[in-house]
Amino acid sequence: MLVTGIKSKPVYAPLRADARGRYHLMLGLGSGEVALLRVLQEMQDAAAEGLARTRVLLIPGGAAPDAPAAPAATDAAAAAAAATDAAAGAAQDEAWAAHQARGEIERMPLLEVRSFPDVPSLLAEFRSVLADSLMGTRLYVAGPESFIGLAMRIALEFNLNKDEIRAEQLGTLARRVYCIHCRTTAENVRTNIVRCPGCDRWLLVRDHYSRRLAAYMGVMVDAEAPGELPPVREVFV
Amino acid sequence: MSGEQTLDVEVSAIEQLTPLIKHFTLAPVGGGAMPAFSGGSHIVVVMRGGARVHRNPYSLLSSPLELGTYQIGVRRMEESRGGSHFMHDQVAVGTRLEIAHPVNLFPLDKIARKHVLIAGGIGITPFMAQLEDLHHAGVPYELHYGVRSPEHAAFLPRLREHEGERLHMYYDSESQGIDFDGLLSNQPLGTHVYVCGPAGLINRVTATAQSWGWPDSHIHWEQFSAPPVGDAFEVFLARSKVAVHVPPDRSLMESIEAAGVEVPYLCRGGVCGFCQTRVLELDGEILHNDHYLAEADRGKFIMPCVSRARCKSLVLDL
Repeated sequence: MLVTGIKSKPVYAPLRADARGRYHLMLGLGSGEVALLRVLQEMQDAAAEGLARTRVLLIPGGAAPDAPAAPAATDAAAAAAAATDAAAGAAQDEAWAAHQARGEIERMPLLEVRSFPDVPSLLAEFRSVLADSLMGTRLYVAGPESFIGLAMRIALEFNLNKDEIRAEQLGTLARRVYCIHCRTTAENVRTNIVRCPGCDRWLLVRDHYSRRLAAYMGVMVDAEAPGELPPVREVFV
Repeated sequence: MSGEQTLDVEVSAIEQLTPLIKHFTLAPVGGGAMPAFSGGSHIVVVMRGGARVHRNPYSLLSSPLELGTYQIGVRRMEESRGGSHFMHDQVAVGTRLEIAHPVNLFPLDKIARKHVLIAGGIGITPFMAQLEDLHHAGVPYELHYGVRSPEHAAFLPRLREHEGERLHMYYDSESQGIDFDGLLSNQPLGTHVYVCGPAGLINRVTATAQSWGWPDSHIHWEQFSAPPVGDAFEVFLARSKVAVHVPPDRSLMESIEAAGVEVPYLCRGGVCGFCQTRVLELDGEILHNDHYLAEADRGKFIMPCVSRARCKSLVLDL
């Protein structure tokens, strides 16, 4: 099928501390805080002086949606948003674990820990921190894939390469989907097929990923037989 | 290159730049333009006419925007196997040479936010062409250039004129050294460092950058090893069914070529990996002089351009 075996699909791995880095910059959203705590404890156990050169920027679990809120322009998007809320409600244990992790992170001897109410405000601070950062900095990102993608896009502007960035995917797999026809990006897409909020075309969500756009490509699915859609399924949960 | 697709050039000018470095201008025989290249590229000059054929890599130092001629700088090596002496002593204006097409194993990173260039001696040559690219790129850069003494500083007037405050000179004769820690501890994110020169300089820059947390993808270096001399040895080429004698002052690759067997190459300096050759049998040890093979591959493979063997027998997959 058109959606699998695509090389550009990002691959994530559990975060590990990079002892070769001199400065460490960590971004976490929601349960990503648990992953960051694990890395920080690894650094602490290794008696790494790196903790004092580590800056952590967080969005506390449950405090924000995964990405800038988009108007629920389509049924699918509305359903996706509702499902996000439902998932958030059902994930109280995860939220509690993230809350605990945040407390522990705040007690560590770090350079700085800051919390933000939403993704845009965290990313704005991230950008200004990068502008003042030195070579030798490692970036760690933990959270939902769309959050990782938005952070990576900014990191790319600062010419951070693969060997300077580590990312662990936690939480929702909901995707940012770029309509290749009208160039609108749909947020929080959880279904294999989605209606484009820009041009109303039905888009097949591919694994073809753009780091520059921080989005998966959406391609019109019923171009040859208008109205004939494969079953719409919730696959990115 | 494999198949030796060379270009015929004629030496149109020679200038003694420093006591050790000569500057050669190469023009295409029959006119026209040279192939396009990017800053950091090298050519291999094929020198015939002496007792034997020499093939040495030299960085292109002319502007990538001016393709009427190529320019190279050749340092006279004390322990030359003949190539640099041939260029210095045998080549005159009007001499015809063959060159292999340019190859870039030392390119500038296209999306870097800043470039730090570090040259030692003749290591300035690849940067001369890269600087031409940088003048148009609009990205900050600085050049740190160390030489023995002012008289050994090739291209100094040109660099002073064009680079101004971006040029930092260091003279051994005045006990000036690069402050590597100061230089590499304080660079903005997205900086790339490039170093070309003696092995000691390259090792120092790489180690210092790594100690300040620089990842490998931001550290670039180029050093063409001249093939070292050594004891003579014998090698058998399994596919060609040819026995080859490698004398002390000739490289394995040169000896194989002299026996009429072609080995693919790009750099002839142990860098590009193009001539990697499988070792089928070995009774003895290989003296790996390349900068290419991973530790795990050493012994399984050999780079004939710079490496030798001390062995009773060696069989190669050639």
